[in-house]
Amino acid sequence: MTPTPLAQAVGDLQMDVAPGLVQEKLAAGEDALAVLAELQDGMAIVGDKFESGEYFLSELIFAGEIFKQASAPLQDAIAQAAESASGTIVLGTVKNDIHEFGKNIAGTVLSSNGIKVVDLGVDVDPQAWVDAINESGATLVGMSALLTTVFDQMKEAVATIERAGLRDKVTVLVGGGPMTQEAAEYVGADHYCETAQDGVIAAKRVLGVS
Amino acid sequence: MVETQGPPPGAPQGPPNPLFLERMGRIQTAIHCGTPDRVPLSLVMDTFACNVMGVKYSEFCADLDVSGQTILGAVEKLGDVDSVQWASYAPAILGMLWLAPMKLPGRELPDDALWQLDEQVRIQPEDYDRIVEMGWGPWFGQYLGRYLGEAAAAGAMMQEKAPRWVGEFMGRGTVVFSASTVDHPYEHLCGGRTIQQFTMDLFTRPDKVEAAMQAIMAEKREQTRQMIRAIGPFGYWVGSWRTAPQFLSPKLWDRFVWPYMKELVEIVAEEGAIPMLHYDACWDREIERLLELPARTCVLATDGQTDLFRAKEILRGHMCLMGDVPPAMLTLGTTDEVKAYCDRLLTDVGPDGFIMAMGCAMPPNAKFENVKAMVDSVQRR
Repeated sequence: MTPTPLAQAVGDLQMDVAPGLVQEKLAAGEDALAVLAELQDGMAIVGDKFESGEYFLSELIFAGEIFKQASAPLQDAIAQAAESASGTIVLGTVKNDIHEFGKNIAGTVLSSNGIKVVDLGVDVDPQAWVDAINESGATLVGMSALLTTVFDQMKEAVATIERAGLRDKVTVLVGGGPMTQEAAEYVGADHYCETAQDGVIAAKRVLGVS
Repeated sequence: MVETQGPPPGAPQGPPNPLFLERMGRIQTAIHCGTPDRVPLSLVMDTFACNVMGVKYSEFCADLDVSGQTILGAVEKLGDVDSVQWASYAPAILGMLWLAPMKLPGRELPDDALWQLDEQVRIQPEDYDRIVEMGWGPWFGQYLGRYLGEAAAAGAMMQEKAPRWVGEFMGRGTVVFSASTVDHPYEHLCGGRTIQQFTMDLFTRPDKVEAAMQAIMAEKREQTRQMIRAIGPFGYWVGSWRTAPQFLSPKLWDRFVWPYMKELVEIVAEEGAIPMLHYDACWDREIERLLELPARTCVLATDGQTDLFRAKEILRGHMCLMGDVPPAMLTLGTTDEVKAYCDRLLTDVGPDGFIMAMGCAMPPNAKFENVKAMVDSVQRR
């Protein structure tokens, strides 16, 4: 299917075009949820270009900002869309690690792909994951780390989720600079995500959405 | 030809230790892409050394003499270590690289927490113009006074005390590889502006960023030459953290990273020192570009994310490679896994033009037996 001009503008990183197109559509009375869906289609193009090696982290960051600016007039639609999101992920950086950049990028690309993000921030206590899962009904958990010293904290967070009887109800995704497939297995995660886009792909696969 | 390392100014002077000369010869041969009597080894240790020696991170950070003693003690426990990258270390100095203060153990953080960068938006968009108008030195001077007092104090402490520790290591036969760092303007601006904002600037105000980077380089060229002439050889880190190709599209990387990186490396080499390319993250996409750098002069040190085996195929005979036992393997792996990986490195990346090392720096929680297996691996050949 040919992308709409708005989706293509986001996909082509046209910051000077996308927000204006949104305004025009809203002024013309178009449904806000439909406009939001076009922006999300644009982010899907960005994701495809990242996967194919045309775009890099720099472009993901820029695209995230374009999405944020262009969707600013769509806050009601975003809230409404969150209620009917294809799924919810509880996201955070694990205990004793205050690095937030990777986690934030993951949050941006996940939310712009129609997944509701509950962001716990950094230095997250193990019990906070359990509380957030219970409160949000999330079926996905995304844990980030930049330090090898917090592998055990990540493992403890997964174990805490298990002790709370929630392990079978959630899929745990992990990522961050020092993570590897072996480290993901060590902490008891279900998926290792090398990039933020890997997180989107894994989340969509788990949720059964294209 | 690079000079053999002599005691730095301020270090005890005296005839070189024969063991030091043997190890230095081994390393020099590797740097020139030759095959030494055996593959040399070089380590970067800070918090790992603390854990080995039972020293609190807070004590390590607060006193350079404690850091030197701690690293020295860990080296002696590990056995036959040809070289360390740093003889002593004050983590607060990292603020000078990324223009952001560090949160330190024993101060903002618990005694045994890792130091972490306190990254916030401190450089504003208008600062790009100010750097151009004022010049890098004056602009940096006022920024230093405002945000980086601790980093400046750490720098002064290193200037005063580090030479003594270099001398201590040399006296015991251990080569101290690195004298200082030569920092890329991108790392400075990105750290002071934050990754998010700086990346946005590359798209929305690229000419301003470029002008500021050129203003920084205008002073850094001569500063770098003067620094190397004052301190002398041996190695200087021309590092890459946020500038890795993994993070940037070729268009941005070609404009904002490579020209400056290449020039800084050439300056270090022209001054007779070894550019230590401490490159974190994945450099696979641009590894061929390293053929543009001076031949048989640089050392490429990667962190486990770059394919060092492929890099060897491309850079064989042109550049010495160093690395790259992955941090996760040293912390979570078994000694058998470490031994097997080191064997692959020795065979496929060595024995010519290769220095055995951990990827990046030793993880704090690396298992001692795994590190020992890596250290001992070079003796098997």
